[in-house]
Formats: sequence, structure tokens, C-alpha cells
Amino acid sequence: MKNELKIFKNNGEQKMRQTVNTKFKQELKEFGVGNWNACFNCGNCTAICGLTENGFLFPRKSIQSIQMGLKENLEKSVDPWLCYYCGECSDTCPRDANPGELMMSLRRYLTSTYDWTGLSKKFYTSKFWEIGFIAFFGAAIIAAFLIFLPPSQRVYSNPEAFVNDQGGVMINSMVDGISSTQFIKIIEYGDWTMAIIVALLLISNIFRMFYKVILKDKSIHIPFFAYFTEFFQLIYNFLTQARFSKCEKKSYWVGHLLLMTGYTIMFMVIVVLLPEFQIEEVKPWYHWQRILGYYATFGILYFLIIAAIERLRKSDIKFKFSHESDWLFIIMLGLTTITGILINIFRLAGMPVLTYYMFVLHLAILVPMIIVEVPFSKWSHLAYRPFAIYFAKLKKASYAQQAIKSQLLTT
Amino acid sequence: MEEPRIGVYICWCGTNIAKMVDVEYIAEEVKKLQNVVVSRNYKYMCSDPGQDLIIKDIKENNLNRIVVSACSPRIHELTFRKALENAGLNSYLFEMANIREHVSWVHTDRKEATEKAKSLVMAAIKRVGFHESLAKRSVEINPASLIIGGGIAGLTAALEIADTGKQVYLIEKKNSLGGNLAFVDLSFPDLSSVKQILDPKIEKINKHPNIKVFLNTEIDEIFGYVGNFETKLFENTKSEETLKFGNIIVATGLKPFDPSVIPEYAYGKLPDVITSIEFEKMLKEGIIRTKAGKEPKNIGIIHCVGSRNNKYNEYCSRTCCATGLKYANQLRDALPEAGIYELYGDMRVFGKGCEEFYTQTSRKDIVFMMFDQRNDLPKIKANTSKKDFNMIIEINEKLSGEELNIPVDMVVLMVGAQAQDNAKDISHAVGISMCGNAFYIERHPKLDPVATTTDGVYIVGSCQGPKGIIDSVSQTRAAVSRILGTIAKGSVQVEVTTAVVNEDVCCGCQTCISVCPYTAISFNPEKNISVVNEVLCKGCGTCGSACPTGAIRSRHFTDLQILSQIEGIMSLELEEV
Repeated sequence: MKNELKIFKNNGEQKMRQTVNTKFKQELKEFGVGNWNACFNCGNCTAICGLTENGFLFPRKSIQSIQMGLKENLEKSVDPWLCYYCGECSDTCPRDANPGELMMSLRRYLTSTYDWTGLSKKFYTSKFWEIGFIAFFGAAIIAAFLIFLPPSQRVYSNPEAFVNDQGGVMINSMVDGISSTQFIKIIEYGDWTMAIIVALLLISNIFRMFYKVILKDKSIHIPFFAYFTEFFQLIYNFLTQARFSKCEKKSYWVGHLLLMTGYTIMFMVIVVLLPEFQIEEVKPWYHWQRILGYYATFGILYFLIIAAIERLRKSDIKFKFSHESDWLFIIMLGLTTITGILINIFRLAGMPVLTYYMFVLHLAILVPMIIVEVPFSKWSHLAYRPFAIYFAKLKKASYAQQAIKSQLLTT
Repeated sequence: MEEPRIGVYICWCGTNIAKMVDVEYIAEEVKKLQNVVVSRNYKYMCSDPGQDLIIKDIKENNLNRIVVSACSPRIHELTFRKALENAGLNSYLFEMANIREHVSWVHTDRKEATEKAKSLVMAAIKRVGFHESLAKRSVEINPASLIIGGGIAGLTAALEIADTGKQVYLIEKKNSLGGNLAFVDLSFPDLSSVKQILDPKIEKINKHPNIKVFLNTEIDEIFGYVGNFETKLFENTKSEETLKFGNIIVATGLKPFDPSVIPEYAYGKLPDVITSIEFEKMLKEGIIRTKAGKEPKNIGIIHCVGSRNNKYNEYCSRTCCATGLKYANQLRDALPEAGIYELYGDMRVFGKGCEEFYTQTSRKDIVFMMFDQRNDLPKIKANTSKKDFNMIIEINEKLSGEELNIPVDMVVLMVGAQAQDNAKDISHAVGISMCGNAFYIERHPKLDPVATTTDGVYIVGSCQGPKGIIDSVSQTRAAVSRILGTIAKGSVQVEVTTAVVNEDVCCGCQTCISVCPYTAISFNPEKNISVVNEVLCKGCGTCGSACPTGAIRSRHFTDLQILSQIEGIMSLELEEV
């Protein structure tokens, strides 16, 4: 107990005099709702929060840093990622400062600071850039298909030729001169290229996050072994989002988990297992390939419908303020899912023309969405959140060590 | 002298006295004393039945002296004196023994407490036998009033009194009216123009037939007493004029604190560190610029400059917090993009509409930072490295625990209030006292806040303690109503328990004159004796104890009365001997 008290008083953080950034608030304003003026530092938000802990006292400290223009503090902080935006703080705030949305804005801001290409900031702060980029990329994909992989003319004159004896469209065999195996290879190469580009961007950004949060912070000294002992946190939290379940409203966690598992399954299926998934044979409904597909579709749709309804109703504080990136995410993922379902329907109904065009449209939405969202925008949190938890654990290990050291020095 | 016939009344004060003092025993005991005709105990002597008891006894038993043994005379002496008067007895033939505050409330042993109470009652009985009838005196009131100070308080007082048709003399040491408020642009919390408050008043005063204004004039000495004061004025040190008046309002206001004594703020060394007074001037002119003529991008406003710090002044200056917020509002309007930093120790914006004002201001993108006002003031330093800002404020922010540098181009110091340099001279001239920090002391902080211990002298506005327009005006109107009350009455009763000089014994040594705290004694060179002005005399007895010949006697505190009181208090011990 005495030990704990000591740690509470001096959590090991070492203070350095920092200069107030007088323009920071102006900069942050572009990333969302900025109602920090209303805050008078009462701390109710932190008191009600189920996730905050000593050393990571949010949202109060984060808002205080915004108010005072402590850019350095915020850029080395992982606190915004430790918040899952249940909205309790915003409900409790006596001044309607909306701490939850401020944390959301901070996550957008931090995403832009980790990104070295500068595209993240462009996408977050300019609709023209974000929609323009997606439209351009989508158009390029449609053009590439129509020029290099156009459907055979027989699709129009003799559609039955592309329907197998089970009644399903032979989706991989509609391009003249390209065999089914070749076609699937081309798509697979495309998928992998996209996955690798996205992964490289994301990993380089995570390294920049690591640099800002851990390496640049001279006040902390991470014990070497902690890098390994805490690593399982990363995997565990990535897969379960266990911290989210500590929030008061459990339904958010369930919904999010459905979306996340659904999407991850879908992503694995279309990238790693594509040759098993995009096949011409119609499997029975209980086949794993179809079960996974249905689960993923359900998970994603469930989340999207709830999110869209809530964001329109605006009765729950969490959904009251929607940033353009929030709506873009719902719309893009919604269109991807709808086109995906339509491909499946047209394929099973034996309609090759519609199947082909729906397939092209599906890719023209899906690919730019992933390229924009995962490394640069809302979806990057799939990596930043678990890494933030990992880094927080590392910082905690450092604080604990320093507290013990200072105690040894005083006794 | 007639034989004393004494009535003694021991009060229970409910259980306040009775639980610690055996009141019935004392009543029985003192009955045995010589000259005690009646001795009673009763639950509440101060109640109407209690007072009626005294009146009835006086009439039926022909009593000519009364002792009430109850609470402090400060509370009920006047009550019982009134009862004596109602029974046709002179009110000074009365003595009170305090057996509540001095006995029952402060002791825990019932037996010892009872003995002590008995001694006090016996002392009162012994003393009251030598009491004499004293006649009441009243003096006429001169309806003219003198007002010292031409700030918002003095101006309000002048107009209020003059409008009732009475003469007012308004004295201002500077060459214009308006006081400190004349430098102020807007007032808080409504951001209304001060000019619109002040100018019509000044204009009206200058034209008013009942107000005579003396500019560039200071008060030297005031003679007389309530209702009949007199002074000589030297306007512009040229013409001399004698004024006579019945009441005085002191409204001398405050002096802004000089921040150059605070090393942390580098006032006088850094050109863009300015006081709130200097900043008001900028606001009035409508141009906010650094000394180099640039528009400031970031401005720091430091609160509590010279206030609430043991090194400077310990008290709160009361108006600076709200004024600082007013600046934030005015700055936000003038420079919408500027960074505005309010650095404070505590935010004390009290009063009607002020908390709302704080809330509204805080939503205008103003940064509030807290520092330790007593031990850790922020430091202002010149910026030598970069060119895009002049200064850095080093602050250890208390709420976040962060150590910060704030880049700024201008710093406004919210200087506190101090008493005027000549506060002591004025206090001597009008005969009032100052507390440790040179603000004037009121007669009672809660029950009599605008009067002073000198009858006919009232203190209003910031000379009594720092305050804003609202409080100053309220105080002024309170004092004015007191003055108009006495004028309407036409005369005032004055205390007759004063000193008197036995002309045959006085040797003219003037020792009494040098010790009198109320300048109530003067010297008559023809007769070579001291003369007491009974209106000024408070009956404190200082002269009596200093007089080498015993020529000065205090009425109601004669040697005989005091000695017999001592004899009474010692009578138990004397018995034992």
C-alpha cells in the first residue's frame, strides 16, 4: 500500500520545461469538434472513465494539454488510443465540453502525425482530397479492367456458356484468352500488392509512433525485458479488444467485435485464401467458405446499420458529432458489402453480365477504401490501438522501475 | 446623599447562566447585604416581564439603585437603562454585572463559578451606591456636509445630499473629478462604458447650486465635533476659506500598487510589461500595440499583482480578477486571432452576474493557467533567441503540474489596490483610525460598516478597503442615508460619561492634553487650566489616570466608584482575613 502511494505521488514521469505552442489549437480544430474552451478542468470525465489509470489520466490531461497548447505532450501521449469512446465522459461533463469527441479528434490528429507521407492530414482535413483520391483510384481500377480484362463478347450473346451445371456463373472464366487459373492469379497478385503497400505504409507509421511515444521521450527508460514480456498484450488486445469491454456500455464492444472479426475474416479470405474463395463451383451452404462469408457479411452489416442509424438519430452523445471520415467509412464499407452481396446473388442466379460488372465495381470501391482508410485514416486504429496498449505497458514498466529507484534512493 | 435602596436581579439566561451558577443562592446571599432592599432571580431579565419586575419594584419599594447581574453590558445595558427611565429613575443609577460571558460560559466548576459570580455581583452593589444622576446632552446639527474625494463614491455622495437641498463641499486633491475610474474604459460584468456613468454626474455636480467643488485641495485639519465641524481650506495654496459643516464623508479611494518591487515581473525593465492602468489607456484609445508599434500576437494577463502575497499585500484587491476577464473580452474583440493567457492564483469573480461573466469569458478561447500565488510567481523574461515574440513567461502550472514557457508579446499586470499615501494625514485630520494596511476602520465590520468611532465621520468606497463601483456606491448611499437621518432629526445625543476638570485643583501642566486620543482637551491660557470639550470626549479615562493632581475626574468612573467596586470584589477575601 505504502509502495502504491509512493508510485501515485511520483509515477516516475520526469518533467521538462516545455514551450506553449500558441498555434496548436488552430491546427487541431481541423480534425473535428473543438469545444475545449468549455472545459474548466473539474476532472469529472476522468473520474467517470473506467479505463483511465495513474500515469494515463485521460481525458482530463489530454484536454488540459489541448487548452494550453502542449503539442509535445500530446504527440508523445498514447492516451487517446486507450480511450474507446463510450461517451460516459461527455454525458457527465458539466460544461458540455464533450471530452469523448475531443479524444476522437486527437486520434485523428495523432494519425496524421504518425503518417510520413502527409496524405493522412490531407484526407482528414480536406473532403476534396479524400473523395478525389478514392474516385480517381476507383476509376483507374474500372479502366484497368475494361482495357486489360474486358468480358468476352459471348457474355452478351450467349450468357448460358458461362453458367456451370450448378447454375452458378463461372466468375473466373469470363475474359477471352485468359484461363480461370490465370485470372485468379492476376487477382491474387493484385490483392497481395495492395496488402503489401498498405502493410508497409502502416508499419512505417507504427515505427514513427514508436519513435514519438517511446524513443523521443527522454524521461522514460524502458527495461529491455519488458519489450518481450508485454508483447502478448499486443496480440491479445488486437484479437479481443478486451479493454473496450471494460467500458460501461458493453453493446458497443460486442458490435465492434462483430465488425472486426467479420472484416478480418473477409480480408483473410480475399487475400490469403482467394483461390479457395473465388471459385466457380457452388459449394453447399454449410461449406466453411460460405459460412465464413455469411458470418462476415452479418457482422459488418449489423455494425454498419446500427452505426448509420445512431449517427442519423444523434441521440447518443457518442454519435452526435460525425466527422466526414466517420460517414465516409460507413458509406464505403456499406457499398463494398452491398456490391459483394450482389456479386454473390448474381453469380448464384446465373447472370454473368451483372456478375462481371458488379465484381469490377466491388473492387473499384474496396481497393481505394483500403488504401485510404487503413494506413491514412479511420482504420489505422486497428494497429495503433493495440500498439498503444503495448507502449503504455512499456511506459508503465519504466515508471515502476523509476519509482522503485527513487524509493531506494530515499531510504 | 440619600440612603441607597438597591434592587438586585440575578438572571438565569435560560440555562446559560443557571446551569453553571447557583443564581438562587446568590440572590439569597446578597439579600443580607446592607442597603439591598430587593433581591430576585428570574429566567430572562431582558424579557418584558423581567423589565416590568424592575419597574414594579422601583415603584413599590422606592428603589433608587438597580443592579442587574446577567450578560455583557454591550448587549443589554441600554435595555435596562431604558427600564429605569420608564420607572422615573435616572438611567445612570444602574450597574450591570456580567456573569455570563465572564463566568458561566468560561468556567467548568459550578462551585467556583458561583463564588466568582457572587464577587462580581457584590462589586456592582458596592459601586452602584456611589452612582450619581447624570443629565443627557444633545447638540444641534449643521446641515452642510464635507466630502473628501471626488471619485465615484464622493460624486455619488455629493449629488445624493445636494439633491435634498443641503449644502455640500466636495474636496478633490487632483485637478479633475472622477478619481481612479476616470482612467477606466469599460466596467464589468456588463462591459458598459464608464464614461457614461461618470460624465453626467460630473456635469451635474459642476452646475449644482448646492455643491461647491474644491479642486487641487487637500484637507489639513478639522476642528469640532459631530454636527459642528470646521476647517480652513487653501485652494491652490492661494485663497483661504473657512467651511462649517455637520458631517464628513471620507471617500479618498485607493492607490494602484507599484509592481516594480516584484523582481519576477521585470516591470520597468521590459517595455512591454505594463500595468492594468496603462492597459486601460490603450483600450480607451482603441489601439493595442507593443512599444515597437506591433500588434501583439500573444498576450499574458497576470492576476494578483501585489495582492494575496505576504511579501507585498496579504489582502485580496477584489476587483482585479473581474477586470482581468474584462480585458480578455476586450482583447478577443479587438484581436480575434490573438492568444490570450490568464495567469491566476485563484479566480475570485464574485457578485451578481460575475460568475456568468467568467463562464462566458472562458468560452472565448482564453487559456487559463494557475500558479502558486504565495510561493511561486511566474517569471517574465526577454526572449533573446527567436524574433517572432518579445518575451517568455515561465510558469509552473499548478493544475497540470507542467513547467511551461509561454511566448508573449505583451504582459498586463493586474495591479492591486493600496491605501493612499496620505491616508494617515487624513485619518489625523478627521480623527479616525487605520488598520494595519492603512485602510480606515469602520465602527463595526458587520453591524455598522460605514460609520467610524468618531461620530459624524463616515468612510465609504475603497478607502475602507478595496472595492468596485457597485460596493462603493452602496456604501455611499448607506452613509448618505445616515447623514440625512441625523440632519432630519436636527440634533444628536452625546454621551455624558465624560471627563470634567476641577478648575481649583488643575495646575495647568497640560499632561492631559498630550495623552488625550480624541483631542478633546484644550488649554485656557487666561485661567491657566485645561478645558474638556464634552462632545469630543469619549470618557476613556486616560486623562484622569495621567493627571498628577487629580483635577480631572471621569463622570461615572469616579475614584470612589472604582475603589468601592474593588472593595466589593475583594469582600469575600477580606472576610477571610
